[in-house]
Amino acid sequence: MHKTLCYGIAVLALAAGIEGAGALTLDEVKSAGYVQGATANEVPYGYMKEDGTAAGIGPDVAIAVFKRMGVNEVNWTVTPFGTLIPGLKARRFAFAAAEQNISPERCKQVAFTEPNSSYGEGLLVKKGNPKKLTTYADIAKDPSLKVAVVSGANNIDFLRAVGVKDNQIIIIQANADALSTVQTRADAYAATELTVAKLAEGGKDVEQVKPFTDPIVNGKPVRNYGGFAFRPEDKELHDAFNKALVEFRKTDDYKKILTSYGLSEESIKAAAAKNVADLCAGK
Amino acid sequence: MMYGYEWDTSSTLAFATSILPILGIGLIVTLKAAAVGYAIALVLGLVLALLRRSRIKAVSWAVACFTEFVRDTPLLVQLFFLYYVLPDFGIVLPAFMTGALALGLQYSAYTSEVYRGGINAIPRGQWEAATALNLTRLQLYRDIIIPQMIPRIVPSLGNYLVSMLKETPVLSVVTVLDMLGLANMIGERTFDYLVPLSMVGLIFLPLTLTCSALIHFIERILPKAGIPLR
Amino acid sequence: MTWMQYLAPLLKGAQITVMISLASIVLGGILAFLAGIARISSNPILSGIAFAYIALFRGTPLLVQLFWFYYALPLIGISFDPITTGIMTLSLLTGAFGAEVVRGALLAVPLSQHEAARALNFSKSYTLWHICMPQAIIEMMPAFGNLAIQNLKDTALVSLISIADLTFQAQSLRNITLDSATVYTMTLLGYFIIALFLMFIMRFIEMKLRRGAAFPRSAHS
Repeated sequence: MHKTLCYGIAVLALAAGIEGAGALTLDEVKSAGYVQGATANEVPYGYMKEDGTAAGIGPDVAIAVFKRMGVNEVNWTVTPFGTLIPGLKARRFAFAAAEQNISPERCKQVAFTEPNSSYGEGLLVKKGNPKKLTTYADIAKDPSLKVAVVSGANNIDFLRAVGVKDNQIIIIQANADALSTVQTRADAYAATELTVAKLAEGGKDVEQVKPFTDPIVNGKPVRNYGGFAFRPEDKELHDAFNKALVEFRKTDDYKKILTSYGLSEESIKAAAAKNVADLCAGK
Repeated sequence: MMYGYEWDTSSTLAFATSILPILGIGLIVTLKAAAVGYAIALVLGLVLALLRRSRIKAVSWAVACFTEFVRDTPLLVQLFFLYYVLPDFGIVLPAFMTGALALGLQYSAYTSEVYRGGINAIPRGQWEAATALNLTRLQLYRDIIIPQMIPRIVPSLGNYLVSMLKETPVLSVVTVLDMLGLANMIGERTFDYLVPLSMVGLIFLPLTLTCSALIHFIERILPKAGIPLR
Repeated sequence: MTWMQYLAPLLKGAQITVMISLASIVLGGILAFLAGIARISSNPILSGIAFAYIALFRGTPLLVQLFWFYYALPLIGISFDPITTGIMTLSLLTGAFGAEVVRGALLAVPLSQHEAARALNFSKSYTLWHICMPQAIIEMMPAFGNLAIQNLKDTALVSLISIADLTFQAQSLRNITLDSATVYTMTLLGYFIIALFLMFIMRFIEMKLRRGAAFPRSAHS
């Protein structure tokens, strides 16, 4: 008796679990009426507001672009930054809108769109900058200093490239933990300039390091280019979104969204000047 | 690359063997955390068990409530509490100590119950004889009660050690780089979670089995009547 | 925000926690009986599979199991949504521990009962379900009670695979308000209250079973 029960449960489980092996197309999305996106709750790139709606550079642009494609509803999943790409590959959502830096390693895993934003690095420190830090390399100079980074972010690569040791790095799970970590267990938090600016606005005992020098990696100062990530097998959806994004980038609404979150005109122009193929090749 | 060890993603087997040294570093952290946590649990549990026997009703009742509260609430939330709330009161412990403390606190609630059961299981005759012989409370506990209690409580205490070992991965959530934390980091850099996570599971299996076997061995060689402490 | 404003999101999370806990306790209970009986069956294949399942899930940490099912399994094509993954993993874990309880209780039924059943020509399955089970179930209840509370505490870990349970809501609230002390104290109290309810339910079931036992428990009491 319980043998048939076991078989039954197994069959049901398999049926429920094995997702459709086919690629997600624009038509499927349109007939479903909504598309599922993901953010990592990092202000201002993509985050959830208290009322449960998503906001930020990524979500606002994504919502506008999908509207142009005829999809009026975007549902959002919040997931830790380091799990955006694994979650995408596991088909938990259709795209990631966290303005992840388009790097050659990530390009091997996912299909990025043309860059949507460009940003530099930053450091968050205790008010008064007691350790007098101006760049990532300063942390490497003093082995007793500790710096925090978010799990999965590529700031850790920049830190390592300028000589910071592994035992100086504290990995936190979420951007939101940075405020309390900088006040207690770490001397600094390494993230993008916008992230740090927003955290400094909200926190009382912390400040953004100004002036700040971007870390020099491979001979040139680091500049990140953020884009939307799709699964490589969802080529049709990715291409349709990409086309609509490039169109949208020419409009004033696009500029308004980006500047409202603190991005400068030059950084917007810089993002438009690069193309995804070059970035994936490491140029 | 992590802690100086490169990994080799050319094949599954190569990947699995190349991350072993990194996971080994995590294993040491796991073992250390369990050791410190267990020590705290053993000592604190005994204190709680003895306080529970106090004749002052308020003390005994307060300890009973505290023990029940800690036993019935999740370790994860207790860990978050210690990690985020203590700094608000000026106590900033490193993540590892916070984790070990949380483990010790939660398990002290379990060990105090084991101690209580052990003490209650000692025949009344022993207590009465001690009173008749005019032994002080210190002599009573040190020479009569605790030596006889130890063999009875070793099995339960041993099981809790194995349980604690299995709960240490929770510490990775507050930045402690144990085996699971390192495996997650490797997964994020290489986008392959299957190998690192499976390796962690495969390392834990013999770890818990060895620990259980060790406990059974200790149970067998302990004299049943009791261990003299002097 | 005051502590009263924290109640709404925390209650939403508590609902999910209770739902996941009850679902995995029930499913885990079913698995426990299946695996426990399989473990003492004379069929070596059944017994072996049960042994492997019990050893695997009792010997590895729950968090590793959760992450494995949530992050590693999708890489070979099998992916479930977070809540299904959470309930499935918790059921498997509770089932493995429960199987040992079932096995222990069934083995504790006195030999005389088995001998009497043989003498009366009862089949093996009849003996199992109508003679051994009723006596064994009462023995299992206290241990099941403990497993239920342990299950409730384990549900907190599903917050780490993005399920919006009580712990997840507490974390979100804390991130927004930075009021760790109040938020976490309320969360701990929430779990404690749910635990008290759970203990009450398990005692009630145990009491009902004791009163309804058709067989005299002279061998045990």
